[in-house]
Amino acid sequence: MIEALLAGVDVALRIDTFIWISGGLLLGMLMGALPGFTTSMGMSVLVPISFLVGDPLIGIPFLIGVYKGGIYGGSVPAILISMPGTGASIATVFDGHALTKKGKSRKALEMSLFASAISDFFSDVFTLVMIIPVAAVVLGFGPPEIAAVMLLSLVIIAVTATGPVLKGLIMLCLGVWVGFVGADPFSAMARYTFGTSELYDGFHLIPILIGLFALPEIFNAVKEGDVSGARVATFVGERLRLAELRRSLKTIFRSTFIGTGIGVVPGLGQPIAAMMGYIAAKNSSSHPETFGSGELDGVAGAEAANNAVNGPTMVPLLTLGIPGDAVTALLLGAFMMQGLRPGPTLLTSSGDIVFGILIAMVLANVLFVMIGYMTIPFFTRVVTIKKSLLIPVTIMLAFSGTYLARGNAFDIVTLIGFGLIGIAARQAKFDVAPMVMGFILGRELEYTFGQTLALAGDDWIRFALTERFGMTAVVLATPIIGLLLGRRMAYFRTRALKRDGEDVS
Amino acid sequence: MKILGLQVTWMTKIGYLAVLFALTWVGPLVPDALAQYPDKPITLITPFGAGGSSDLTARVFTTYLSEYLGQPMLIKLVPGQAGQKGTLEATQAAPDGYTLIFNDNYRDQLHQYTFRNDYYDTLEDLVAVARINYGQIAIIVRSDGPYQTWADLEADARVRPGKVLLSHSGLWAALFVPAQQIMRALNLRFRMVPYRGGGPAKAALMAGDVAFSMAFPATIAADIEADAVRVLATAGPERTIEGVPSFVEIGLPPNAGYIHRIVLAPRGIPEDRLVILRKAFGQLQANEDYQFAMRQLGENTAYLDGAEYEGDRIESSLEFRNFVKAIADQ
Repeated sequence: MIEALLAGVDVALRIDTFIWISGGLLLGMLMGALPGFTTSMGMSVLVPISFLVGDPLIGIPFLIGVYKGGIYGGSVPAILISMPGTGASIATVFDGHALTKKGKSRKALEMSLFASAISDFFSDVFTLVMIIPVAAVVLGFGPPEIAAVMLLSLVIIAVTATGPVLKGLIMLCLGVWVGFVGADPFSAMARYTFGTSELYDGFHLIPILIGLFALPEIFNAVKEGDVSGARVATFVGERLRLAELRRSLKTIFRSTFIGTGIGVVPGLGQPIAAMMGYIAAKNSSSHPETFGSGELDGVAGAEAANNAVNGPTMVPLLTLGIPGDAVTALLLGAFMMQGLRPGPTLLTSSGDIVFGILIAMVLANVLFVMIGYMTIPFFTRVVTIKKSLLIPVTIMLAFSGTYLARGNAFDIVTLIGFGLIGIAARQAKFDVAPMVMGFILGRELEYTFGQTLALAGDDWIRFALTERFGMTAVVLATPIIGLLLGRRMAYFRTRALKRDGEDVS
Repeated sequence: MKILGLQVTWMTKIGYLAVLFALTWVGPLVPDALAQYPDKPITLITPFGAGGSSDLTARVFTTYLSEYLGQPMLIKLVPGQAGQKGTLEATQAAPDGYTLIFNDNYRDQLHQYTFRNDYYDTLEDLVAVARINYGQIAIIVRSDGPYQTWADLEADARVRPGKVLLSHSGLWAALFVPAQQIMRALNLRFRMVPYRGGGPAKAALMAGDVAFSMAFPATIAADIEADAVRVLATAGPERTIEGVPSFVEIGLPPNAGYIHRIVLAPRGIPEDRLVILRKAFGQLQANEDYQFAMRQLGENTAYLDGAEYEGDRIESSLEFRNFVKAIADQ
């Protein structure tokens, strides 16, 4: 084991490996920054390149670079134009775009970069060191445990939503209901499709995201009128100060912890990690009421959490040959094309190469910061464009991104529909975040709950009590956690109200 | 008004527009006969998501095929509705040889009988260009599990009908259909637990959540090597692994459990273009790099010319239709 690790250091420290990782990172950032172009689509296009170079220590780190760069790149349009191109950057919009409106887009982007790179670094180190013990527990998380975690996540999101709990709940339920539209996952019966074939597959996430988050922003900007000479900001804004980064370090590490934990459980993924990281940052802040109006900690909490998922998702792939999502499935193909067969024998047969790749992954984070830092001035220039030019371009990106995601013309209709819902919700002061999370989590909860029922059969009491302690424990803890968090939020709300009252007097 | 730093008057604006307008006409005015097909990139629709084994296979053969076509073949992922979305798009595409589809036999020959479908009939709307390869499914259990042979598993399923758990990769997909065929042919009943794809279905077996599963040999080679997985039977009339019975030996039809990966074109494609496409796929088989890449993926390159495959296609569609009808009548 130790020898393989040392041999891995030897094979990883190659200049060409670094050049290819850098290329991958840059490509990933650019692709991630393009709304609708998901990381898995980008990687899928680039798989043949990784194969044609014919060396596992170039081809695979290159793809890993694309993966890391892509997840970070998604935060760029989220911060600059309130357009989360993937589910992973939903929580980045809340404070990221608020910072842009305050003329602090550069700070926000730099915080996103540093938070992403730092958390990625530590979660990769964790993966490298803990790969064997983690592999032993990964299989313990099946559909029942995932369903329980989904339920817990829904409760947490409902009680911590901004504004009145009832409004949050309404939006959450609406989101869950939207997720029900389409063929049910177990018998393919159509639900709420009104006999149309377009709705048979249900709604797609990307048009919902862009519709709910970006279109209301565009609408507001247009409504403000007189945009002939106006700009979002006249300058690209200040850099992030070291003191500000230091203040957010605690948040970054908390989110790294959360993200890594979520990454270990196959099938949870970045969107949930980012949301939980954000909620945790908000909850442990001494002034949670300022979250959503441009808090650097909010960006750090979300971005650190989504990148921390990357490392641990490699564990089931490398040790069991089981890909948990589209990205790791692509990596599985890339490994096989290089003659490496992920599975129980990979570590013993090609340990040096595996550790070489993992070490390259850790070191890639240093390049990540450098390359990301160089791209920021280029991206931030966006805010200095005249609004009369920026708004049409944003509208174009919203529509092209929606279409790009899966080439479905009906998604354009979905985009406009959810855009209208987003605008109405903003007028009525409803937070759209619970709706999106309800949509994402509701579907997953339904699917994993259905799987759980199929696994349990008729004898579900025995199943819950003797076979699935993890599931039962999480389900039992859910109301307690929900109650505690709800109380805390209520306390903060009354405190904020009181403080406002004092200010007036 | 200034465009690209030039002062633009309305006269020049009209001039620009006239040039643009003229340009849009130049392309289509070149007679088709003069241009040798293909003279622009060909789009290959794949009705799968990114990252699956079919996506990877498509990435490999499109990479090497351009050498023989003289034009790149670009993959367009159109996932959704269990593959029907992409299939529908292909059936509605212009039959000019610039839009093709990469599909498998279940989506091409079975799904129109199992899912609601009023929009197309693949046999009438599409024609086979080439069968890229095929895969034979294997029934797998954990090596440390109770089943040593297929007979053990069958006996247990007979004693406990509906109690033996099986993980599959989705409704009417590559693991689900053979399981249905087994249940019907041998009069057994398993409890089917769905997972999102073959990877998670295998994970469920490894975790001990289900009693058995199915997989293509390429995806379990490492597990067999590590003695984590035992194969109880493989599809086809012949044995593919020493000492492991074939599907025919355990009482299944000889063609059960096969997946065929096929490239198809919208029917109505000019005959000469179909010939060019079929020839290119034939030539691809001699490419060493292509052969090597497919071997690395654990896939065979058992190519079949489209004209030959058409017969199998019609036959298999009929069989699937009767099979689905028989299940529905039960």
